[in-house]
Amino acid sequence: MKFKLRKLSRPITKSIPKKPGKKEEPLDHSLPNNLDELMKRTGNSSDIVVRKLTLNNDAKSRAAIIFVEGIVDNRSIDDFLIHSLINDDDLHRVEAEDEVLEKIAAKVVSLGDVKRINGWDKLFQSLFAGDTIILVDGIAQGLSTYTKGGESRSIEEPPTEISLRGPREGFTESLRTNTALVRRRIKNQDLWVKSITLGEMTNTNVEIMYIDGLARDKVVQEVCDRLNRINIDSILESGYIEELIEDQTATTFPTVQHTERPDSVAGNLLEGRVAIFVDRTPFVLIVPAVFIQFFQSVDDYYSRADIATSIRMLRILIFLISLFAPAVYVAATTFHQEMIPTQLLIVLAAQREAAPFPAVIEAILMELTFEILREAGVRMPKAVGQTISIVGALVIGQAAVQAGIVSPAMVIIVAITAIASFATPSYSIAISARLIRFGMMIAAATFGFYGIILSFIILLVHLCSLRSFGVPYMAPMAPFIASGADDTIVRLPWWGGKERPRLTVDKNSIRQGDNQKPKPPSSRTMK
Amino acid sequence: MKIGSIIILLLMNMIFLSGCWSNRELPDLALVSALGIDKAENGQYVGTIQVINPGNVAGGEGTQATGSESTPITTYTASGGNLTEVNRHVSSQVSRRPYYAHTNLLVIGEKLAREEGIAKIFDALERDPEFRTTTKAVIATNNTKAEDIISTLTTIDKIPSNKVIKTLESTEQILGQHMNVDTRDVLSKMATPDQAPIITCFSMEGDENQGKSLENIQATVPEARLQASGIAVLKDGKMIDTITEDVSKGTMWVLNKIKATAVSIDWKGETDAIVYQVTRQKTDVTADMKNTNKPKISVEVSAEGRIGEAAVPVDLSNPLLLVEFEEALGEKIKENIMSSIHKAQELKADYLGFGGAVHRADPNAWESIKGEWEDSYFPEVEVDVTVDAFVRRTGLRNEPLLSNMEN
Repeated sequence: MKFKLRKLSRPITKSIPKKPGKKEEPLDHSLPNNLDELMKRTGNSSDIVVRKLTLNNDAKSRAAIIFVEGIVDNRSIDDFLIHSLINDDDLHRVEAEDEVLEKIAAKVVSLGDVKRINGWDKLFQSLFAGDTIILVDGIAQGLSTYTKGGESRSIEEPPTEISLRGPREGFTESLRTNTALVRRRIKNQDLWVKSITLGEMTNTNVEIMYIDGLARDKVVQEVCDRLNRINIDSILESGYIEELIEDQTATTFPTVQHTERPDSVAGNLLEGRVAIFVDRTPFVLIVPAVFIQFFQSVDDYYSRADIATSIRMLRILIFLISLFAPAVYVAATTFHQEMIPTQLLIVLAAQREAAPFPAVIEAILMELTFEILREAGVRMPKAVGQTISIVGALVIGQAAVQAGIVSPAMVIIVAITAIASFATPSYSIAISARLIRFGMMIAAATFGFYGIILSFIILLVHLCSLRSFGVPYMAPMAPFIASGADDTIVRLPWWGGKERPRLTVDKNSIRQGDNQKPKPPSSRTMK
Repeated sequence: MKIGSIIILLLMNMIFLSGCWSNRELPDLALVSALGIDKAENGQYVGTIQVINPGNVAGGEGTQATGSESTPITTYTASGGNLTEVNRHVSSQVSRRPYYAHTNLLVIGEKLAREEGIAKIFDALERDPEFRTTTKAVIATNNTKAEDIISTLTTIDKIPSNKVIKTLESTEQILGQHMNVDTRDVLSKMATPDQAPIITCFSMEGDENQGKSLENIQATVPEARLQASGIAVLKDGKMIDTITEDVSKGTMWVLNKIKATAVSIDWKGETDAIVYQVTRQKTDVTADMKNTNKPKISVEVSAEGRIGEAAVPVDLSNPLLLVEFEEALGEKIKENIMSSIHKAQELKADYLGFGGAVHRADPNAWESIKGEWEDSYFPEVEVDVTVDAFVRRTGLRNEPLLSNMEN
């Protein structure tokens, strides 16, 4: 390895240490007191349901079950909790009161997961996670039973990452469903999941997933450390975490990848990367992320290598177009007219005769118009979407030209740029290119091609200086790492590369056996 | 930290305060498509620039309004003691900055070329960063001034400079009597004694004043027409003569520039009865330097082509007859070439490039004779021409129609 991982002097423990919390307040012995306390603490919230019941027809042994309506599975509560508790006859034989809970857990409740709880914090944590709490009078403890449920979106095709070939499953808002989707793809005991709760107010479940033995220990440890560092009131989406764990904040480029596709996560895990799942969002983060990763789509790995390679080259071209097209137009028409073919120059000059603005103003005006249109189109309710497309065609198109505000060539340039910025597979890198494009235009308008080249060099230096969890952003191109280079702009066929990328995998780097290239039997053996 | 940010601020200012240096918007440029240079009676240069009116050339949006009412070009003329002065004077007439990067035609007046030579003006053109050396050069002859070539409107190709260039290209390929020369070729040939430069001549037929008005391009037979008219021979940077017809065609043969041409031979008493269309050819010029003082040049031409016309009844399916044709064709081509060689020797101008052949054959000997090559050696040089013409096919039919009719 030619680069060093940063910030890795701490001992490697590979686990998320528990935060030193304040001492937990214990439950009371008396059920009415407990219920009063509960109501007081939750402000009598109307979605919290308290169902009082008596055990074993004995008016003295009162109990209550508590759950939050909407996040629980009503049928499990009815059938396996209330029904069992009310009808069970065994409970009266219990002598010691403390054994009641054990009895309930062992014999009565026919649900998957039953845990004992002692304090209020634990109680609320389970309660709001969708568990049902059982409190029994006279016992300063409770039971939490697994009744998570409620409405959730079914697994659908991910709307932001469509692929022509490959699975149609996408992540949903449910964390457990999401981890299961990956678990189903990698059936191996080395697929490890670690859990952490983040956000003081939201108590969001966050899980990291990696393959033990493939992911670098240092990277896993770094991910755990950075997650532990987070001290924020809320985590509503993985974007919060993405911003809080980045290496470099002063950049427009994404150093953390996000995806909605379980197959993409699985592929990345197998390359030694770490996935971060956040509850209530279908977007899963993948670290470390390198530049070229944002030009890879899952289709590439499912289609033939030669096709995939040419499409990746096209994507690089598309990225360059979306970055440079307006800048090059501005530079060529205001500084370097000699490099435009004569006939084209005459046509351009004829169009520019009537144009009221300098080329750069025209370019910025049109690009801005397009960005406005795009933004409007994204947020617009579907019912008025058609209006936007009609009006949009007016402002970027023939009407703008006929009004004499812009020249027709500029419309073409803006259009090709727009198409190009949508064709980049990763939205986060496309939007970054969009932002830089304006800088490029200004550089082109001030210095011509000299300015463009200058900005490009600055951009390259910046890209080379970025790191994602210690991995150089431009790797494996710069620094060049041969074993990872078989899946960059060029994708070698699966039989072409034997090793996993060295960038993220240091041990167990052999991916497949020798001689995987298919060979047809020679004609002699065909007989 | 504070000093660092101040330095960065100052650096940023450096970028933004310098502004849009050398920024030129398209509507601020006058695109010069052709440049004509004449010599006035008082010895001053008269420069004419042909400026494109983009709106009248380009099709599409915004042009329909002004449409074909106005001319695709406008010309401006100014005079001065040197080209730079001419250019500065022109600016008093043009509303925009003349932009020479797209100038693709240079027209030199015959008077200038004959009296003063082209060396001085070529220095100015070569030195200029905008002007390109790929610009085509022509000389205006037959009492046509460079200004007339520049300002005559043409049909089909709306921009006259394009018309001239395209004519040069097509006539070089089809007729083989004119040569498409750019200023770089002229410059490089002027710089060496290996070969003398030649430049194709252009002239305007008809009324020069008619040519300047739109009516000229509204007629099926334009009053004023531009056409190629031979090749000017230069010696020591000055034009000394023009060669035309067979002589110039022979020159093209020697220079290996023939792409396609037609050769006609007499047959059975009928003049120009058989026409041979050359499809490809190759000419090798080599020098034999066994006797250093008397170089011998050999020109070997091998041509291939087809029969284009047969105006006498002949049996073209007879291979023996074709062999006879080939011999006669060879003779005819050789005649052309010899006439061109004789003319060059007479003019003492080595535009055939024999000097280059000698140079290649014996560089050491060339060093000693190159000073007096054109004047002493070249006119006396012995030239051996061999032509191998080959009839590849006879066209789409064998026997001419005439042989059927006579039977």
